[in-house]
This record gives sequence, structure tokens and C-alpha cells, in this order.
Amino acid sequence: MTKKRELELCQPLNPADYFTLAMDDEIRREAMPGSLCGFAVELDKWPEINELVSRIDEFVARFPLALASLQQQGKQFYWVQRPNPRPVFYRHFCPEGEEEHIFQHATVQRLINLREVRESTAPIEFHLILGRQKSCFLLRWLHPFCDARGAELIFSYLSSHDKAARDRFDTPETEALVNGQLRKYKWWQKIHLFYKAYRYIHQLDCYSSILHGQSDQLPQQLNFQVQRFDEKQTQIIAQQARTLCGLTGTSLYYLGCLMRALQQLEPAAIGEAYCVPYAFNLRKQKAVSPVLGNHVGPLFAQATRPLLENRELLFSHLTQQNKHVIRQQLDYAFLPVMQAASWLSLKKQGQELRQSYKNSKERSSFWFSDIGQLNFAPNSFFGADISGLFHLSQLSSPPGLALLCCHYRKQLTLTYNFIEPLFSAEQIARLHGYMTRELLGYDALQK
Amino acid sequence: MKKKLRDFIFSEIIFIPEPNQFSDDDNLIQAGLDSMGIMRLVMYIEDQFGVALPDAEIDPDNLHSFNALERWVCRHKK
Repeated sequence: MTKKRELELCQPLNPADYFTLAMDDEIRREAMPGSLCGFAVELDKWPEINELVSRIDEFVARFPLALASLQQQGKQFYWVQRPNPRPVFYRHFCPEGEEEHIFQHATVQRLINLREVRESTAPIEFHLILGRQKSCFLLRWLHPFCDARGAELIFSYLSSHDKAARDRFDTPETEALVNGQLRKYKWWQKIHLFYKAYRYIHQLDCYSSILHGQSDQLPQQLNFQVQRFDEKQTQIIAQQARTLCGLTGTSLYYLGCLMRALQQLEPAAIGEAYCVPYAFNLRKQKAVSPVLGNHVGPLFAQATRPLLENRELLFSHLTQQNKHVIRQQLDYAFLPVMQAASWLSLKKQGQELRQSYKNSKERSSFWFSDIGQLNFAPNSFFGADISGLFHLSQLSSPPGLALLCCHYRKQLTLTYNFIEPLFSAEQIARLHGYMTRELLGYDALQK
Repeated sequence: MKKKLRDFIFSEIIFIPEPNQFSDDDNLIQAGLDSMGIMRLVMYIEDQFGVALPDAEIDPDNLHSFNALERWVCRHKK
């Protein structure tokens, strides 16, 4: 294929894709696999494999970017079509004598930790992990290719048996929402927003962030623990969240509880305040487009140590802080910053967007995402029923810890993603013990 | 007021294939009005209609439909 032909088949990244690419770069510089993410659905039996394969083929034909390679051309990055695309679907069979759930965990962990150069890494792969009865379907993607909502849309596309419904999913020609939003502003408004975000970041950086984990250890691999709350517990948690954070603050409740749980796990951790980035998504709710790309910007929740001592004060503070951010349009203010930063080198971009201006250390105490409510009809995945699901995300070290939340069938699922040996499985199990007490409000109820 | 609310919600927060078929009594929360969307909506109403909506009243009863929203805002306009 000639260079000219290749260029015809490439698609530029939007500013929010650069943001995740900078994280990919950061993770790779730590000799880790880059920003690989995963969405796994646990199935009660094997799905109809032939139908699944044919649907994946249809998806790839409709979204050929799924076969592309991410490459730098000049200062910018593009998805360039590969001359010889490799398969996107793989099967993994549990060997005789091995426990299914152990094989599943080990396979997911191996796939999310595979190291490849960026240009070779597949934008997305589909893995079916087959036990003797049950199975697990994993979407693994490179974060610049799509965000968690995009992965959910891809999954919805695959599992939608109605052709007309699948046709409603937009093609990759759809403009990035970030660019659409930025186009609403005149150049001076963008500058105004840019400085608004810049001042906001400086204000956040007046406190050094509390970091956990063994920061003197080199990262070796991502591990994960999935924890589910039953329906009754989930109701109690929702009630607590509603009481303390109102109707609009469920996500803030989860991250505030994790701040307090971490404080109990390691009270002597250095730093003055927890600072937690979380994404806001520009996609409208229920929209089935755009499927690909990242359409998010960052927001921050920050709380100083003294605030952590009192649950009511902490959640009231986080809620007011969030209201302030939205009232001041600080969420949109980050978009011009992301756009400007996309012209920097990835290393410089990572430093500008993610490191504290105060001490050049990591700003994020942990990574956080609330994927929200996921609904799939019974037996909807090629004849198999989805009994559970969880999310995965590679991350930089520090912070080495990410909490990903979602609701499925009225049950709250938390997936702790952690980098070993900065964190150990035992530590995370202890952390979840504290987190459970916090979420359910046990200590508050006992008073 | 309802037209402004409809325009804001359908252009910024929720995707509805055919907004004209969404009635003023249809359920906005079931249609996808989530916590971040509610926050944006409340800020929009406060700026647009010059009212202050108390946090304690951010409740499904006041948010579930365009008619409920209008009643809520009108109570505070007085």
C-alpha cells in the first residue's frame, strides 16, 4: 500500500483521544502495556459462537477503524489502516482439571497485561473465555480508541439482534463531540475558558495529593478484584448516598467513601488532600453515537484530611464543590486545555495535565469511574444470560489504584484495579472491608 | 418555559430519536436524565429563570417530567 493510500484511510485523534494517549504513553514509560482497558461480561453458559463471530465480522466491516494501527505523523497521531489486519476474535478454553473461575481471572489478567508496541496493539479485541459450562466475554481496547461508554455501545451493538437497531449506531465519520463543543466558542472565549481551567488546577495544586501504595516499587502487573453488593445492600448504599449527597451525588458518594476507606487503611500516608479525577461525558444519555473515540473531559474532587473525619461534612463539601464546578463551567473549561495540550509531546502533555504544579508529583490519589446503570435483557447475549460484569483499566504508578463502579440488575459492582507490587491483593481485600463499612454507613448507623 | 426546558434537555442532556413525541408528562428520569444531567439542568434553570432551587428539593417528584419541572420552577418564581 502506498503512503498516499494509507493517508487516505487514516483518521485523526480528537483532543480527548490525546488525553488518553498521554496516559497510554505514561504507562508505557513505566514498562507496562499502555492504556489497555476491558469490559467483561460473565455468562451462565457458552453463547452461540458462530452467530457471535458473524456479528463481530459485521461490526468490523462497519467500523474498519477497529483494525487500524495508531501511528504518529508529524506532531499528530492518526488511526491508519493496516495492510494486513490481524484477527479480532479469540477463544480461550479452560484446560481439564483447572477451576473455571481461576482460569477466567488468570486469562483476563494475562490479556490486560500483554505488552506490545503501540503501533502493533489492536484498537479492540474480543476474547471468549470458555469454561466447561460458563463463559466470559471480554472486550479489550486501547483507551484512545474509545472510552468506557463507547465500549458499552460496542457491546450493545454486538448483542442487538435487531438489524434496524444496529443500523442506528453511528459510523466513525461522526464528528467528535469535543470538537463540536469547542466550535461553539469564539477564540477569546476559549482563551477565557483556558485560563479559568488553569487557575482551577493551580487552586487544586495548593495541596499536595495523598498517595498510597509502595511508591518505591517498580510496577509489574495490573491485578483486579471484583466485589458485588446484593440487592438489599445496594438499596442501603443508594439511600445513604441520597441522604448525604442528594439525588445528584451518587458518584461523589462512592469516591468520598473510598477516600475515607483509604485513610483508614493507611492513616500515615503522606500528603494533604485526596484529589480524584473523574470523567464527564459529552454524549447525551441514551445516544448510540458517537461509538468510537473519547468524548470526555476531566473533573476533580478534592478533600483535605480534616474534612475526611466527618462524613456529613465531607459529602456536603464534595457536593458543593461539584455544583461550583458545573456552575462555573469548569468542566467545559478543560476542553480548550485538552485541545491546546494535544500539540505538546505526549510526555509534556502528561506532565501538564496530570502532575501537580506544586511539587511535580502525581495529582491523582486514585482513578475513578462510575459507569452507571447497565441493562441487558435475560438470555440476550447470543442465547446466554449475563450473570455479572466488571471493568478493567491499566493505570499509571502512582497512583496505582483505580475504582470502577457500575450497577447491573440492581446490584452495585465495584472493580478494584491495582498495580502490583505497589498494592497487594490482601491490601485491597482490607480496603474493601473499610469501603463496605463506609458505603453501608455502618459506623454512622452505630452512633 | 417548557419549550426552553425541552430545547435544553434534548440538545444537551438526553438523546430522544423523536423529541416531538415525548410528552410533557413522560418520565425524564427513565429517558436518561442522570445525576450529572440533573445538576446541569438545575444550573440552567437557575441562570435562565432567575430562581434559586433548594438542594433539598432536587427530588424525583420535581424532576420526573416537564410538567413537574414547570410546577417546581413556578413555585419558586412566586
